[in-house]
Formats: sequence, structure tokens, C-alpha cells
Amino acid sequence: MTVQFTAPTLQTDRLILRAPQLSDFEAVAAFYASPRSSFVGGPISAELAWRSLAQEAGHWVLRGFGRWTVVEKATQKPVGIVGLWLPEGFPENELGWDLFDGATGKGYATEAGKAARNFAYNTLGWSTVISLIADGNDASRGVAKRLGATHDGAFTHERFGSMQIWRHPAAEACA
Amino acid sequence: MTPPVLYTERLKLRGLRPSDTEAFLTYFQSERAEHTGGPMTAKAAWRHLAANVGHWSLRGFGMFAATRRDSDDIIGIFGHWFPHGWAEREIGYVLFNAADEGQGLASEAVKACRKHAFDTLGWDTAVSYIAAENTASIRLAERVGAVRDDAAAQPDTAYEVVIFRHEAAR
Repeated sequence: MTVQFTAPTLQTDRLILRAPQLSDFEAVAAFYASPRSSFVGGPISAELAWRSLAQEAGHWVLRGFGRWTVVEKATQKPVGIVGLWLPEGFPENELGWDLFDGATGKGYATEAGKAARNFAYNTLGWSTVISLIADGNDASRGVAKRLGATHDGAFTHERFGSMQIWRHPAAEACA
Repeated sequence: MTPPVLYTERLKLRGLRPSDTEAFLTYFQSERAEHTGGPMTAKAAWRHLAANVGHWSLRGFGMFAATRRDSDDIIGIFGHWFPHGWAEREIGYVLFNAADEGQGLASEAVKACRKHAFDTLGWDTAVSYIAAENTASIRLAERVGAVRDDAAAQPDTAYEVVIFRHEAAR
């Protein structure tokens, strides 16, 4: 028996969080081609961006959780990738967010991040979660602060380099 | 997308599972992976595993884990591979351990994958991209009746490949 775990769909006021799919490729490739991806290993080629999208989908099967493609309700367009991440070598369960070009400054990362964190605490039963933020990524650190996370150490990522660990409020505090 | 299960005389081809992680990572970290994209770090190998699993979600087909019929231990990955940058759809094969070589197991798995490609997936042709110096893999392609096709378009790979073509009639 092979269990193919598929991401459940979540909704917030302005956003839909759904499973990554092939039709997201154009948006994902554009993100990974842009300077915006410099804090998460980019810019990288379209070929590597495709494999990255495949990894997003595969993570759900291997871990039973993963990251969602975030779709803007108003336009039905993908605006980012947000969710729960634990690849080999991560120090612990992570909540991560990547917003595509043009989707910043609207509070989308915070809104989607809250939904993903609620899923981690209320559905998966996690008691704690961190976010890894590359040194110098001020915008992402701002999202962590808005989500109530606090600086809690350092981590050296194999590809992304030196990162800060930001720890989110515990499950009880988010209830 | 739930991968189907294919059976051959001695092998079972099924979807990759979390329990395959250790063997998958061990192979791709080893020198044996020098012609299949490795050796790579454990972290990179895990991401490669995730990409193999996610390929099924994106394409509706992908690489299977091969096990002996009476065991659940993965001995290699065989199947259908078409990431962005590939010129054509590929039949791929990787046998993890030297101890499993020389028994015709890889040929058996490749033939089953080819039959699945033509009979079930509806492909009318397929290629195998093989690193030019991977003589064992080239011998296997020849053994299953694939023919070298130097006119075929090169895929976007980090290393030069020779291309073997599988035809539906074989």
C-alpha cells in the first residue's frame, strides 16, 4: 500500500492555500529567476525551479505535511508558496513563506502563515514551530515579527548560508 | 496521483515511500551515483527523492521503487522521467547495489517500464539518457534492444549523454 498524501485546501479571508500543481510552474520559475529568490537559494534555472516545484509536491508524501501554493482569491493567481517544511538536515519543523513578485506589502505572508501555523498546531498537533530567515532578509523578518515569533538562535543552511531561527508562539498562545 | 504497482517475474515496481529514504540517500551519496547525478550530500539526495515523488503529482507518471517480490527493500528506481528541460520522455533506471547486478534484474524492470509506457501511458517512443562513460548502463540499453540515436536532441543535463531509443515494436 502506498499512501499518497495530498495537501488539504485551506481558506483565509483573501487567500486559498492548495496543493502545488503543474500549472504553478510559470509563476514558480519566474520567482526563482528573479532577485527575490536570492534569500532562498536563487536565482536558479527553469530546470531547477521545476524540480523545486516537484519537491514541494513530494514533501507532502514523504512527511505528511508540506507547503501550499497560495492563490489570491480576487485574481485566482498564485502569489506565493507558504507552509510547513522539514527536508533532510533542518533543525526542526519550519514554517516558511515565499511571496512572488507583486504580492508583497499586502499582508499575504502573514495571513497565509497564520493559516499554515494553525494547521500545524490544531490539525497536526505540533507544539512548536520555527521559521528560518536568511541574514539580511528584512522583509521576511518583519513577517516573523508580525506573526509574534522571536529570535531564537542561528542555523547554517547548506545552500542558503547563515540564517536566523525565529520561534513562533507556542500552540496554546495561538489558540 | 497514486502510482500503480507493476509486477515482473522477480520484481515489484511500486511508488516511493518514506521507508525507502535510507537506501535512496545511501545510493545517491555513494560513488556508484557518479553517472546518475551524484555523489551528492544527504540533503541534496533527500531533495532529489522528494522531486522523484513529486514528479508523479506534476506529470501523472514517474519513477517506481523496485523491490524483489518477496521483500519490501528497495533495490533501485525504474520508470518514467520527464522533468522540465528534457527533450523527450525518458525511461530511467538505477540499480542501487553492486550485489544486485549480473542477474538481469535491471533488464527485467526496464522491459516492464517500457511495456507500461507504450501499452498504458500511450507513448509511441522513449529515450534513455546515459552518461557517455557509463558503460554498464549502455550495455543494459543494448541488451533490452534500445538503439543508439545520435540524431536525437540533447537534454539539459550537467553532463554529456548518449541517447538510446526504445521503440514500441520491440
